[in-house]
Amino acid sequence: MKSRWMPGYSALQLIVVLVVLLLLFAVSSLLSPYFATPYNMTIIARSLAFIGLVTLGQAMLMLLGELDISLGAMGGLCGVAAGMLMMDLGVNPFVAMGLAVVLGALLGLLNGFLITALNLHSLVLTIAMAGVYKGVNLVLTKGVAITNIPESTQFLGRGEVGPFPTPFVIMIGLLVVIAVVAHRTPFGRYVFAIGDNAAAARMIGVKVNLIKLLVFVIAGALAALAGTLMVARLGTAQPSIGDTWVLPSIAAAVIGGVATTGGIGSPVGAILGAGIVGVIEDITVLYGISPYWQGVISGVIVVMAISFDSVSRRYLFSSR
Amino acid sequence: MASEVLVEAHGVTRRYPGVVALLNVSIAVRPGAVHVVAGENGAGKSTLVKILTGTVPPSDGEIRVLGRLVGDEPELFKRIGYVPQELNLFPHLTVAENLFMPFELSGFGGAVLDSRRLAEEARKQLERFRIHGRPEQQVRELSVSDQQLLMIARACAHRSLDVLILDEPTSSLTVNEIERLFDIVRSLRAEGKGIVFISHKSEEVFEIGDEITVLRNGELVGHYPVQGMDEGRLLALMAGREVKVDENFYPSSPPGDVVLDVRGLSGVDFEDVSFNLRRGEVLGFAGLVGAGRSEVMQTIFGFLAAHGGEVTLAGEPLRLGAPSRSVKAGLVYLSEERKQHGIFPMQSLMHNIGITLFGATVWHGLVSTNKERKAVEEIVARFDVKAPSLSQRILNLSGGNQQKAIIGRALAIHPKVLILDEPTRGIDVRTKVEVYRIIRDLAERGIGVIVVSSEMLELRRCAMRIICLHSGRMQGEFDSRTCSNEELVTAIFGKTRENS
Repeated sequence: MKSRWMPGYSALQLIVVLVVLLLLFAVSSLLSPYFATPYNMTIIARSLAFIGLVTLGQAMLMLLGELDISLGAMGGLCGVAAGMLMMDLGVNPFVAMGLAVVLGALLGLLNGFLITALNLHSLVLTIAMAGVYKGVNLVLTKGVAITNIPESTQFLGRGEVGPFPTPFVIMIGLLVVIAVVAHRTPFGRYVFAIGDNAAAARMIGVKVNLIKLLVFVIAGALAALAGTLMVARLGTAQPSIGDTWVLPSIAAAVIGGVATTGGIGSPVGAILGAGIVGVIEDITVLYGISPYWQGVISGVIVVMAISFDSVSRRYLFSSR
Repeated sequence: MASEVLVEAHGVTRRYPGVVALLNVSIAVRPGAVHVVAGENGAGKSTLVKILTGTVPPSDGEIRVLGRLVGDEPELFKRIGYVPQELNLFPHLTVAENLFMPFELSGFGGAVLDSRRLAEEARKQLERFRIHGRPEQQVRELSVSDQQLLMIARACAHRSLDVLILDEPTSSLTVNEIERLFDIVRSLRAEGKGIVFISHKSEEVFEIGDEITVLRNGELVGHYPVQGMDEGRLLALMAGREVKVDENFYPSSPPGDVVLDVRGLSGVDFEDVSFNLRRGEVLGFAGLVGAGRSEVMQTIFGFLAAHGGEVTLAGEPLRLGAPSRSVKAGLVYLSEERKQHGIFPMQSLMHNIGITLFGATVWHGLVSTNKERKAVEEIVARFDVKAPSLSQRILNLSGGNQQKAIIGRALAIHPKVLILDEPTRGIDVRTKVEVYRIIRDLAERGIGVIVVSSEMLELRRCAMRIICLHSGRMQGEFDSRTCSNEELVTAIFGKTRENS
């Protein structure tokens, strides 16, 4: 039942997530005539791009058995940093964006270093670091957006490649890269192995801490990329960028079949999960449901997803 | 007693998707008797226990407690106590709290703890089971054997217990502690309780058992009285063929030059350990639980921190403290804790083994699935790992097959030195012999092998040279072919030979 490409993850589960997403598309098209329009699809794809980038990093961390609550704050801080580099220091906008991504990687490195060197719990540490990064963001900007971001950058956020929004294309490109890394490289295998049983990984000579550090770096860089692309899209560097990214990224990964305990799942599943979250958000808006309900709905979906996972696992692996 | 039989399973079958774990098995546990359930790994012992304790329902067949069908009265399962193999106490709660959880003894319907009454009752139980501990002590402060007895006390404490099921209760106990456990089992037997005793160790079966039920491949082989049974016959019944118990597995070629040299090594719980190992040699390490054998090995490997000493591997000094460095240098350690330190439970058999094969399977940075499959298939065939398919999660394989897979994986690293810590723990007799053959084969191919084991017989069958440890110190080195059992036992109990 298991695909050769998806270690520790039954292809069946991936298919279930895909079917749910397609059903959701079908139901949504019935609920609202505006849903299936190209315009609306573009909206969904564009917002999926940002959440998707964060989800990719989060999913890799979760496969490892870790979490990073500060990815949103990190993305926001890096977006603001890109804005300040461009506007206050006159750095070339593309160089500035590149530097912001490097900054994200460094912040990820800092998180990873604190967690591995001091043997801290990633959930607790990154909650604290989220406060730190958000605080630095507000200190730097005094809570005011940096405006007049050069228009030359805007194609990265607002532009389109063929029918697809540019950030969506970037996200899909990175998804392919990360899926290949996760499933087909030794590094990716080590990630699954560590998430499954870190002590056993150490015992066969895997450099567990190094792998963990690298995944935190990757997640940080992806979050920073999301932040800077958001700046390019908005044309302003808002201090509030990233505020609402973290919980959906975890929810998406869980819906997509990534186990919170590590070792099971796939980046592809996580992005499909992000798609489910995105479509639900979109249809609640189109159907005129109060946005106050959105939290309730996505919460219920997460509970359903983990219950499905738990029940199906009990059935499939009840032997011995 | 209302009935002659306390618990009876009749024609019990348990099917899992794709597997029949138990087929038409019957067993009857009588009062005042110790009923041994014997069988190799995967014989269905644990499934039978799960059915007898009500953890899983049988697919077919019926279970009666005191002659009454449990299907009608699930309450009857409360008359059956179960003590699992692994410790499952609450280490940070007190002895009394552990004993009486879920606190049926307390006031206001269990809402408020009556700690004085708990302590009083606990003291009685501690006395009865001869546990060295106080009611208000945290459980983690007790020794392993006291914790083991505490689990038995707990099973007996708060129910109207008729039958006690002990699942390999002696696996982490020393000889004296096993005697203490047996005394308690005997007193429970004298009280008219029925005891179900699951064990791999045949000497225990003969010491404590009254009746034996033998299972093989999920089917019942038969019920036998212990009187008149001998070890060879029991092993043959379990294995389905004759098993030689006195064959040895010494490598045929003489050992080469020194490959591992340990000088004055100290670490957590042990001091000043020095020894060397030659290529193609099998060196045994004996000692009681807690003597520091695993600690020594894990320190050499770099998993635990060293406090001092030097290790030389193939002439090069080995920097201690990082397993990844040791593996690179050609030193591999296989832990006794297969679940904790060995397998990646949720990954497939292929990926469990494939993780050490990247040297041969990676092409341009990517793992070639075809090459990986071929390489893994080779290992699976060579070590005779039995699995329905390579994509099976390793979790679903039997302990013996997991162990063979892990040994195969370790060998793919091409180690110069391989340390096997309790390589046959939880493995049935037949697979044990296969592991011994693998060990001999490795030594004959020039690998230095260290075997750590609690089973004296195992060490004597595999290793020509045996080092004994006691309380973290070396107690001497013995030639397996010339020394007596008594000498070895004296050494592992920490007495010098002059005194004995």
